Amino acid sequence: MPGDKLSTAEGLRATRTYGQVRCHNPSCTSRITPEPGANTAKCSICGSEWRIFWIKPGFPRIRGPVWETSQRLANERMAKISGRKEGA
Amino acid sequence: MALNRKVAIVDLTSGTIEKKPIPLEVRKTFLGGRGLDAYLLYKYAKPGCDPLGPDNVVIFSAGILGATLASASARTHVMGKSPLTGMVGSGNLGGFFAPELRWAGFDHIVVKGKAAKPVYIWVHNGEVEIRDAKNIWGKSVTECQWAVREELGDPDIKSAVCGPAGEKMVRFANVMTGIKDAAGRTGMGAVMGSKNLKLVAARGTMDIKIAHPREALENDKKFIDQIVSAKVNQTQGELGTPFIWGATNSWGGLRTNNFQYNQILYADDVEPERIDEIAAETMGKYHMAACFGCQVHCRAKYKIPPSPLAEKFGVVGKYDEGPEYTSQGAFACEPGCTSADTVLIGNHLVDQYGVDNLEIGSIISWAMELYEEGILTAKDTDGLDLRFGNDEALIEMVHHVCNRDTRLGDILAEGGIRAAEKIGKNAIKYLIHVKGMSNLHSDERATPGLALNIATASRGSDHLRSRPAIDLYHLPQEVMRKIYSSPVPYDGPLSSDHREYVGKPWQVFWHEQCYMAVDCLGICKYHTVFLGATLPNFEDWPRVLYYNTGIEMTPQEIWTVAQRCNNIERLFNIREGFKKDDPYKGDVLVDRYHDEPARRGAPDVIGATIDREKFKVMRAEFYQHEGWDENGIPTPETLKRLGLENLDKEPSRI
Repeated sequence: MPGDKLSTAEGLRATRTYGQVRCHNPSCTSRITPEPGANTAKCSICGSEWRIFWIKPGFPRIRGPVWETSQRLANERMAKISGRKEGA
Repeated sequence: MALNRKVAIVDLTSGTIEKKPIPLEVRKTFLGGRGLDAYLLYKYAKPGCDPLGPDNVVIFSAGILGATLASASARTHVMGKSPLTGMVGSGNLGGFFAPELRWAGFDHIVVKGKAAKPVYIWVHNGEVEIRDAKNIWGKSVTECQWAVREELGDPDIKSAVCGPAGEKMVRFANVMTGIKDAAGRTGMGAVMGSKNLKLVAARGTMDIKIAHPREALENDKKFIDQIVSAKVNQTQGELGTPFIWGATNSWGGLRTNNFQYNQILYADDVEPERIDEIAAETMGKYHMAACFGCQVHCRAKYKIPPSPLAEKFGVVGKYDEGPEYTSQGAFACEPGCTSADTVLIGNHLVDQYGVDNLEIGSIISWAMELYEEGILTAKDTDGLDLRFGNDEALIEMVHHVCNRDTRLGDILAEGGIRAAEKIGKNAIKYLIHVKGMSNLHSDERATPGLALNIATASRGSDHLRSRPAIDLYHLPQEVMRKIYSSPVPYDGPLSSDHREYVGKPWQVFWHEQCYMAVDCLGICKYHTVFLGATLPNFEDWPRVLYYNTGIEMTPQEIWTVAQRCNNIERLFNIREGFKKDDPYKGDVLVDRYHDEPARRGAPDVIGATIDREKFKVMRAEFYQHEGWDENGIPTPETLKRLGLENLDKEPSRI
């Protein structure tokens, strides 16, 4: 039977990170470190802003977008795409 | 030993029952669960049969690890030809039925024919009986389970049942067990109803002998530690699967208003954190439960809190479990509703009727768009104002579909393609489906790999057949290489960017084998590389398999079993009419994926579509990995390699 060599899954366990979330903007996905207990966190790279829920102390997750920021960024993007299409 | 379980062939027309052993060679060829079910379906269902006729079969099974010391070895698989799609019908449920079936001496129950009157099947300690169901027919999912326990005098009986929706042959009715455990999708509950089969009850005290118990326990301790230490499972243990819905809505990956949008705005009330609060308010702080042998405990318990909607439908205080993320899709984003009350009520109703939440939510949302487009009118809806965001109309329609008691409800109960034919007026244009099955509430326009998964899955649009969900995690290349280069070598391209098309066919192919292997073993997908990259996969399973059952297999051999079983499902679909580009039965996406850009969500999701040509290139590469020709048909070489070259001609191995 297989010996004691670590499997891929077991080996990858060491790569887990704590206290951080990944920005949910797909083209960004950079690490964000929320202040302990904070309700929101902003991505310093792309400017997206997220509402934070704490599964337990030291273990944050993104609950959802800060809707106002999300809407503003979405509208800006939509305007850019629309302008590009009109200009094309 | 853990392998000495049997197959029972139950003919409801003649009333005969055959019990057959499962030869070791068959075990090594198909393992069990979904894999062996696929073989039995191919051999026992009459080619071209009416899915709701006596020539179809419905099969109930446990995986080869069911009820062993392996973690979460709880899964039951149900299979037949689908009355919704006319192709592979398949559902997989958690809970406690499969372990009880194994303790009762059986791994697979194959039901064929049709009973002259309602019956149920009673499986206990090596015996199988067909019994009169006059006292339980017509009862809800939970009522019938309690009624059969009372009738047989044993409160520990576990049953796989069809609810009222299955009795009425709603084409997307589920097989259910417990409160909410559902073999959903593809209408296996309707197949039960068509056979006048209300339930299969199981109770057993036959030991499962573990091949190497000490080693199995030691290994499982490590295995369990690996599983519960994963962040994704810790999140599940706190919030249940609704966390997936919340994460997906945050960036704009949810079909909203029947796919007109890809994000539901200001839906804070439906987010998992709020659902969790309601569950805690109604059931107390420790409100999470688990399936047999599982440490993740991802199932919330709740009671429906008072609200005007709950009072109107008479469900205040009703107990249920979940909701799963699929109910958030069905009763929130797809119909454009933003109330947790609606989600909890809808979830309760589908659990009691025994109907697929994904399908009913999707099809009512489709009807809502048809109503707003003027294709359906108030005359068609019997005056119901079937607009998006009308919570009351949504819940009302759930009753009408499950009871088939209005003209529109009866039409929708036939499933999308048949309903579109009856409605006419180009209603099909608005139907979001693959192979006739509605999509999950997710929007795959920004994720080509996930789009390829739903287009090519064997049972129709399906996130549980081959979805490379970890593609969303932006994993480093070296991590992806480690995962996807084993157990079979792969040195082709892989991309960490989930908007890419390159490398995705291999990921979909890899996950297809991974999920089939899990379904053959009979363990939960949350214990493998579905939502977490650090969860066990092929390299970890040989030890679990050997210590529990005594069967020695390499990771590559398990992979080959999975590929063999996936090819049987493919061959079944080909037999039943699959054509690569057929809009109703092919490996294709509906036009909206290609033609209508995403309009909401994170900045770089906006504008996303699936490029038609790139999609075709992905699909062609996926076929190559599978060993299929350019039309998606397994080549003779592939069939020979997998030992399937004589599948049509050979007598059934069981």
